[in-house]
Amino acid sequence: MKKILLLIAIAISLSSCAIVKEYEMVNINDPDMALSLRKIDRFEANFQAYREAASGANGGKTGGGCGCN
Amino acid sequence: MKMKKSGIVVLLLISTLGFAQNKSVDSTKVYKKRVLESSEIDFITSYYLQDGRNAAVSGGIGTEELSDFTSNLVVSVPLNDDDILTVDAGISAYSSASSSNINPFDGDNADPFLASSGASSSDVWYNFTGSYNHSSDNRNNIWDARLSVSIEFDYTSFGFGGGYTKLFNEKNTEASVHANVFLDSWSPRYPVELSSASRSFSIDDYTITGNSDYNPTFQPFSNKSRNSYSLGFGLSQVLSKNLQTLFALDLVFQQGLLSTPYQRIYFSDIEDSFIEDFQLADAIELLPDTRLKVALGNRMSYYINEYIVLRSFYRYYFDDWGIISHTASLEIPVKFADKFTLYPSYRYYSQTAADYFAPYEKHVSTERFYTSDYDLSGFYANQYGFGITYTDIFTNSHIWIFGLKSIDLKLNYYERDTGFNALFIVGGFKFVLDDRKKSIPKLLNKIGF
Repeated sequence: MKKILLLIAIAISLSSCAIVKEYEMVNINDPDMALSLRKIDRFEANFQAYREAASGANGGKTGGGCGCN
Repeated sequence: MKMKKSGIVVLLLISTLGFAQNKSVDSTKVYKKRVLESSEIDFITSYYLQDGRNAAVSGGIGTEELSDFTSNLVVSVPLNDDDILTVDAGISAYSSASSSNINPFDGDNADPFLASSGASSSDVWYNFTGSYNHSSDNRNNIWDARLSVSIEFDYTSFGFGGGYTKLFNEKNTEASVHANVFLDSWSPRYPVELSSASRSFSIDDYTITGNSDYNPTFQPFSNKSRNSYSLGFGLSQVLSKNLQTLFALDLVFQQGLLSTPYQRIYFSDIEDSFIEDFQLADAIELLPDTRLKVALGNRMSYYINEYIVLRSFYRYYFDDWGIISHTASLEIPVKFADKFTLYPSYRYYSQTAADYFAPYEKHVSTERFYTSDYDLSGFYANQYGFGITYTDIFTNSHIWIFGLKSIDLKLNYYERDTGFNALFIVGGFKFVLDDRKKSIPKLLNKIGF
């Protein structure tokens, strides 16, 4: 838990020292760089929400909407 | 008549698309890049197969064989430069050997490792979700709202939610918050030997072996609702020209009927009763009526070069039922031959057992809560995936007025240390509405609008 909070703090602090300009974001804007699930992965995330106890924090189901765990 | 109705629906859809596109032409007096250039249609379909020997319907033993075929149509329409309306409709048809054993007595020999031909052996699930997304003129503020409905034979769900995203530091940092509420309700189906409401089954028609004095204590659930409230936070950061990361926190509180009504329990301190080779339930699963879940996740994307990207994900999860879980995955998109990308991936998952879980015949009747659902047991799992995508940014191939933008195909194999395994194949087709200035008005003229 402490490690995760530390990582968040590092990420926030980094935001103030290394601004990448919009015209420099060619690589960041590559579709494969997206920080979210691809549409094709939605069924995979749903299956995992049904078959595993853990869910959430991945852009998929978090709980509710199905008779699953 | 049916054809006529279908025609009207198609015309309404076309009119909506046409209206959206025509309106957008008028609204571009001051230039700003549209959030979504053209209407998009995604058709995604999947086939899923699973098997195992720990079915919760038969108290932790028995076949878990299941197959499922799902299709979704997702239509995203730019209403103007700033707003997008998305409609997502899905249908899923499944056939399940384990849920068929809600009533295993179909005339053939009843056995937890064999499927029954009862009514619960297959079903269809329907889902409809509508969402609306608005971006500010500078694209640094995004609001969204969503509504959803889903229905299956024993479960109905109504959901709504919304979110807000703020971009700052010249779009290097993105903070988001979202909240969702699901108001769900069960139409409980109980194991047939317990349910006095069953018309197709009378226990007096069968010979009970083992303990012939079968007398379970069974109370149907009085509360049939399940409400879920979730609150999520996200913070993403561009770390360099080639590296970005996202931290996510999801909090979920669930309240109501969290047990699955048709999952049997066999107690070790109650003598076993059988009909044919099927053991009769001592009770049904009983779980607390509240649950708090906390999930913390991190995603990283690293652009190695024009051919290779690394995408990682890690999640730490815990809840107040005693489950702690770790999930880690790595995907390596590899571009080749201009239009193709390969997606090899690996995912590791582990969880500890819920406080209320025990395997077949390990619970005792004096316990307050009990389940033999192996989805709540302690296990670890490996998942291996391989996908391929064809992308044509110029949409040279057409179906009617839609240009084909991409085709995806993905195969995943999942296995647990308990013996459970699953295979799923997913296919996706993305189309964009093409030639928007000419085709739709021309088409509408042709059909008399």
